[in-house]
Amino acid sequence: MTEEVKAATEIVFGAKFWIATAIFILVYGLIVTEKIHKTILAIVGASTMIVLGILTQADAFHSPELGIDWNVIFLLVSMMIIINIMKPTGVFEYIAIKSAKVAKGKPFAIMAIFSVVTAVVSAFLDNVTTVLLIAPVTLLICQALELDVVPYLITEAIASNIGGTATLIGDPPNIMIASKAQLDFMAFVYNLTPVVILVLIAYVITIKFVFGKRLTVKEDLRQRVMAMNENEAIKDPALLKKSLAVLAVTITGFIFHGMLHFEPATIALFGAGLLLLVSGTKEPHHILAEAEWTTIFFFMGLFIIIGGVVNVGLIKWMSIKVLEITQGNLFGTSMIILWFSAFASAFIDNIPYVATMNPLVIDMAKQLWPNVTGLDLLHHPDLMPIWWSLALGACLGGNGTAIGASANVIVVGMAEKMGKPISFKKFMLYGMPLMIESVIICHAYIWIRYYVLKI
Amino acid sequence: MKAKDLMIPLQEYLKPDNTLKEAANLLRIAQRGEERIGVKALPVLDESRKLIGILSIGDILKAVYPSYMYLMELGNFAWDGMVETFAKKAADKKVKELMTRSVITVTEDSTLMECVDHMLKNNVKRVPVLNKENKIIGMLYERDVFYEISKAMLDENTGGGR
Repeated sequence: MTEEVKAATEIVFGAKFWIATAIFILVYGLIVTEKIHKTILAIVGASTMIVLGILTQADAFHSPELGIDWNVIFLLVSMMIIINIMKPTGVFEYIAIKSAKVAKGKPFAIMAIFSVVTAVVSAFLDNVTTVLLIAPVTLLICQALELDVVPYLITEAIASNIGGTATLIGDPPNIMIASKAQLDFMAFVYNLTPVVILVLIAYVITIKFVFGKRLTVKEDLRQRVMAMNENEAIKDPALLKKSLAVLAVTITGFIFHGMLHFEPATIALFGAGLLLLVSGTKEPHHILAEAEWTTIFFFMGLFIIIGGVVNVGLIKWMSIKVLEITQGNLFGTSMIILWFSAFASAFIDNIPYVATMNPLVIDMAKQLWPNVTGLDLLHHPDLMPIWWSLALGACLGGNGTAIGASANVIVVGMAEKMGKPISFKKFMLYGMPLMIESVIICHAYIWIRYYVLKI
Repeated sequence: MKAKDLMIPLQEYLKPDNTLKEAANLLRIAQRGEERIGVKALPVLDESRKLIGILSIGDILKAVYPSYMYLMELGNFAWDGMVETFAKKAADKKVKELMTRSVITVTEDSTLMECVDHMLKNNVKRVPVLNKENKIIGMLYERDVFYEISKAMLDENTGGGR
């Protein structure tokens, strides 16, 4: 069935429509309650879609429109492989210890530099990985300086969500949007990185006001940090050199993938393969086994579930309703998507949220411009600000609450293990105002750049 | 040879609400055979003398070891006095917070090979021995299993005298 025929097809509110909708609501509802692991729910929901004939297995596995988005899957797996090989080199310990020393053991300087480093690393690695790499060193430094770890953990989680927003590979919502909307790496750099830099600057200034005066440290304790020799962190200099070379090749590949007409997953898979080869590992088993397969299967399951509700027309019906509300006002739609995405992502997982919103935005575009198809439709000049609003809202919204982003969940878990639990309320006290601040900046950015200056 | 023939009968044990300070002291002075030379682990029994866990000196090491250090290679960056500071903080923690809850046990009639099987597969150096009523009656140590093996190797079958 071609795009045009499908767009013209009326929605049939038959048994299939209601079965698919029920599966969708049930799975999303149960994900929110956290009674059953979300990956299990995604797998059960996806296979039920196929068993009940909402979607054929061929569609679920192979259809670019309805099935698993392998571009997202291979990009994620490949980046996980690259990181798993790099981790034992000690480079991340090196970066973190070096940062603390550059800050001369001064408490706010450490917080600011760690936040910026976390944001920059997050722009290239996924946020959970970044936090898992930076937070342990942060905890060590805080204990050396006898500082409260909680403000440091919270500021790092938020910084990682901000940094992840900057690039195509920084955060799963961007990977998913890039794949569906066929946007390349440089499009993200050109459109999102500038506003993320603004948000990060505002963020550092804000935490200076919030924490700056409260943090003090005894002079003699700073010596503990200054005595640390970051060079001791490097465990495998040979592997480190190879890893950095492959990483450079991979990032260069990302920068040019649009021009070269390669999908991002191709670049990442090539990088992962190359690093596996040059690392000289004889036993790839543990490197592959350590990829986060629960996350990967969560994605695969979700893609199929969304494929089911797209196939029965639920998403199209929702897109018609959205357009009824906004009455086709695209600036209004952009702003609603930005703010709604932010608050939605603060309370629900932004991955299923974006998985739902992507086809919704495309269906909306089909209603608005019925005679336009393919890339012309996906990249319609009036649609672009909506994609960026979705990306900014979904990524930055994660900062609102302790459950808004996986990085937040990780730091809350770490704090609890340290005997310093961060309550839901406490995280929100810092996270929500900072999230609103960042979304206000994005609101102004989108309005000025795309609707006033139109650049 | 069965587990009950080789085990050392239960003498001392911990309660879940003992502090780590108390536990560390008992681990240092507990009887081992005839002498008070300390043991490397003690069973933890609840009020009805049911086995609910085991606390080893490894668990005491874990009590001062910050969990984040498992995640990365940070040993090089520790400072002098770190363990002592954390030991003071951990002294008042309860045994139940640190003990290992899933304990590998054998029964009094388990064969020696079954005991070896548990020790090797679960990488434990000692296993509590339970009687038919599921009550702990003793501890079987790797070292005593080794003596038994060495006796068989050296043909010292007269053995006994334990």
